[in-house]
Amino acid sequence: MRPFKYTRASDAMNAVSTVSATTSAKFLAGGTNLLDLMKEDVERPTELVDVTKLNFAQIKAANGGVSIGATAKNTDTANHPLIRQNYPLLTQAILASASGQIRNMATNGGNLNQRTRCSYFYDVAMPCNKRTPGTGCGALDGVNRNHAIFGWSEKCVATYPGDMAVALAALEATVKVQTKDGTERTIAFADYHRLPGDAPEKDNNLNHGELITSIELPKNNFADKSYYLKVRERASYAFALVSVAAALETKGNVIENVRLALGGVAHKPWRALEAEKFLKGKAATEVNFKLAAEMEMKTAKPLEYNKFKVELGRRAIARALMQAMNGGKA
Amino acid sequence: MVGEAVSRIDGLLKVTGTAAYATDYAIKNTAHAVIFKSAIAAGKILDIDTGAAEKAAGVLAVITHKNAPKLNEKGGIRGGALLQSPNIEFHGQHIGVVVAETFEQARYAARLVKVNYQKTDAKVDFEKHEKEAVMSKEKDKADAVRGDVEAAFQNAEFKVDEIYDTPIEHHQPMEPHATIAVWEGEKLTLYNGSQIVNGAQTAAAATLNLKPENVRIITPHIGGGFGSKGGQWANLILTAVAAKAVNRPVKLALTRQQMFNSVGLRQRNRQHLRLAATKDGKLTALAHETTTHTATTGEYIEPCGDCSKVMYDVPNSLISYRVVPMNIILPTYTRGPGKSTGSFALESAMDELAYQLKIDPIEFRLKNEPAKDPSSGKPWSSRKTVECLKEGAKAFGWEKRKLEPRSNRQGNYLIGYGVACGTYPARQRNTSAIVKLTRNGSDINASIELAASDLGTGTHTILAQTAADALGLPMNKIGVKIGDSALPPAAGSVGSVGAASFANAVNDACEKITDELIAKSGKQFFVRPTAAQLMISENTSEFQTRVDAKPPTDADKFSAHSFNANFAEVRVNDATGMVRVNRFLAATGAGKILNPKTAHSQIIGGGIWGIGMALTEESTLDPRRGNFVTRSFADYHVPSNLDIGAMETIFINEDDKIPNKLGVKGIGEVGIVGVAAAIANAVFNATGKRIRELPITPDKLL
Repeated sequence: MRPFKYTRASDAMNAVSTVSATTSAKFLAGGTNLLDLMKEDVERPTELVDVTKLNFAQIKAANGGVSIGATAKNTDTANHPLIRQNYPLLTQAILASASGQIRNMATNGGNLNQRTRCSYFYDVAMPCNKRTPGTGCGALDGVNRNHAIFGWSEKCVATYPGDMAVALAALEATVKVQTKDGTERTIAFADYHRLPGDAPEKDNNLNHGELITSIELPKNNFADKSYYLKVRERASYAFALVSVAAALETKGNVIENVRLALGGVAHKPWRALEAEKFLKGKAATEVNFKLAAEMEMKTAKPLEYNKFKVELGRRAIARALMQAMNGGKA
Repeated sequence: MVGEAVSRIDGLLKVTGTAAYATDYAIKNTAHAVIFKSAIAAGKILDIDTGAAEKAAGVLAVITHKNAPKLNEKGGIRGGALLQSPNIEFHGQHIGVVVAETFEQARYAARLVKVNYQKTDAKVDFEKHEKEAVMSKEKDKADAVRGDVEAAFQNAEFKVDEIYDTPIEHHQPMEPHATIAVWEGEKLTLYNGSQIVNGAQTAAAATLNLKPENVRIITPHIGGGFGSKGGQWANLILTAVAAKAVNRPVKLALTRQQMFNSVGLRQRNRQHLRLAATKDGKLTALAHETTTHTATTGEYIEPCGDCSKVMYDVPNSLISYRVVPMNIILPTYTRGPGKSTGSFALESAMDELAYQLKIDPIEFRLKNEPAKDPSSGKPWSSRKTVECLKEGAKAFGWEKRKLEPRSNRQGNYLIGYGVACGTYPARQRNTSAIVKLTRNGSDINASIELAASDLGTGTHTILAQTAADALGLPMNKIGVKIGDSALPPAAGSVGSVGAASFANAVNDACEKITDELIAKSGKQFFVRPTAAQLMISENTSEFQTRVDAKPPTDADKFSAHSFNANFAEVRVNDATGMVRVNRFLAATGAGKILNPKTAHSQIIGGGIWGIGMALTEESTLDPRRGNFVTRSFADYHVPSNLDIGAMETIFINEDDKIPNKLGVKGIGEVGIVGVAAAIANAVFNATGKRIRELPITPDKLL
């Protein structure tokens, strides 16, 4: 391992200024992804500032919704009564991710900032623009089974790997951030993660040194009809081939409000806005769900090895919406 | 004690973390080594700059082909990569070792090495090169022909003619390959997981140009191997080389990522399977033609046609192999070698043909049960396929299965049942053993000593059980010393020969010591006394003997195999194509079961890998670069707990003393054979989709 300096931050401002001062410094929270990447020589920070002792672990009611702290653990978040009651979609998404051990260590803020699991990114013997800009994309003409079908660029076809963020995208959460000038700013979830474009080395729109303090969940009426469907190659501890966060609000059989976000298909959680637009005001029927899915997946641009994701996406969207209508039961 | 479900005698050591595996020995002054690897799949190293690495903190030595000692590359180490030349034969080949005071220092320094390569065209795309495959030079892989297959096919009314593909898989035992090497003058001790203790000793000695008696292998506990610790690989030798270079003990453990291109793999097989039958369901022809790859520097072909040779009574048959050398690490023995993959093709095809004939697949198999071994004409020593199928079917509730697919639905899930058979040869191999008895008053203790190995399967326990019965002592009076090449030479825990070879040697040694104690007493006994009784009655304080046990001379006149029938119930999500195994049952006829508890674990272990083989496991190569894109347990999907439903085992009673005196046939390999086919057949029964390319991932069922 490359030598690095480790400090434990006792206050947020201090942590932010320490990391801001050095471009190769990073925050360390649960470490479930960063430490792996350091062992693999992908991440090479010279300084780690441990933020786990900062006072950002609360989960509490706020502004009619719920505020979840950046350093609260994934497990505690998923099982918190406020989340289970009001945002079962988030509970399902978190519990579909990783393994029990990893969820016990991983924090909410760290979860948003986890990096792609593209194996060309992980393998330092391979070219990767995200890891080393300018070296090319190994996956573009390589084995890209797990890669993007939406929003990719010639520079990068990686996917965002998480589940929690897919639910957060559907729930239209906001991310609260402490900036280096000591102020707080709020980022809408749709603006948090980025598409790769010409700068795939940037996963999200945080500026260097900015620290997530909480994720804010606005009040909604989706709790009765939501479902997180994750299609994967084994029952646990596998990244999604495709995942769908579906949430519905209906009056009679008419869809008043709908949210759909997809995981495993793009460099960020992918809001299925076309499908949402189509469904609003329509009857909540399987036929309409399938039409919406069809409409959304029409714009997909699959790669050599992941053409199956288009059909899988269609099926997963329709099924997730049906499950949501059934009260979110598997 | 033999035949009783005794818990492992080493269980407490294992659950308390005190069982010593290869790198658990605290040896003073140990330095740490880290291997670094090639970033290209073919070509040569033009230049290698180790300057920065050598200057890094804590570094004691950097060894590459430029300064490695001359080794004997034909000494029996598998897979090359011994730093003897600048040539690169596969991606991830070892190209050097850093030795440092700590592991972290060694790993850091390894990353400072700069390598300048000259790349040549690498053969890494099987699809592109399979047509270059040729016949093997190995005799046992020559075309095996009986009757006239082509004529039989032409005349057949019912036939199957399909390609079945199985991917590269990796063994990935929980304990990665790891070694501590300690030199004392010319004498070398290697703490190293070794399925064949004496094999590791002779290969290490020959490769390092040492006398075998100067090399000692210590391996009392092994954290799994599945064939990858049967032969030994370059990492073992490079640890010894590193220890010599720094004149200190050295520890070298491969990382999980490095395991993918260091210690072999199960090769990709493309199997062309043809079956023909009469309308009454009598097989008339079977052709099983396998095409695969091997290393550029050596050949290994797993025998995919083996099951097809013995499973069914068929008058016309062809078994063949074609192989193409490629820039991929040498394939090697992998659990149920050839039989697990071969049975996927054969038993899927049997299911396909049964469906064509509209016969129940069990009924179809029973119609084609051979009275003797069709490949050799030898009589069976025993064969319990019929009992496995019938008793397994009863226990599983096979009568609920519907012949037509897609006729069992529960909500969003399609339910299917599948069955498939398997087999593996039963053999005993030469093994020596010492038994020592000591008496203190009326307290008698026995020590059983032989260079056997315990992969985690229960060797310690079954040997204690065997000795307890044969000596007339309770189990807690038996000490079992194994896993040390200084002990009498033994067969390995490979090819299902371990239990038969070790237990018969121990039993022979215990009988011999009893005979010798009787002779020593000079008395005649009406009832044969036990060795324990004799130690007391003859007032003997210490006594020992040794045997060199061999298989029965007549064993070769018979065809001896374990047989099984595997039953699976799956549910398939009708939208996403995700498959789960609700329940699995294996009925096995494997001779004497020494310990039903450890045997159950062995069979469900095989079953679980079979489920992985069927549904989740695949190592994927980049077809242009030759690197594995599956390079950790996050990408290489072994089944998780949640993937496994109810696992049941049945052992069919079988008393067969032909293969060996104790009637032990071995269960390590057969447990995985036929499992993947049973699941693929169940998926067909559920969905009507016949998947001939493993693993059956969701995309294949859309």
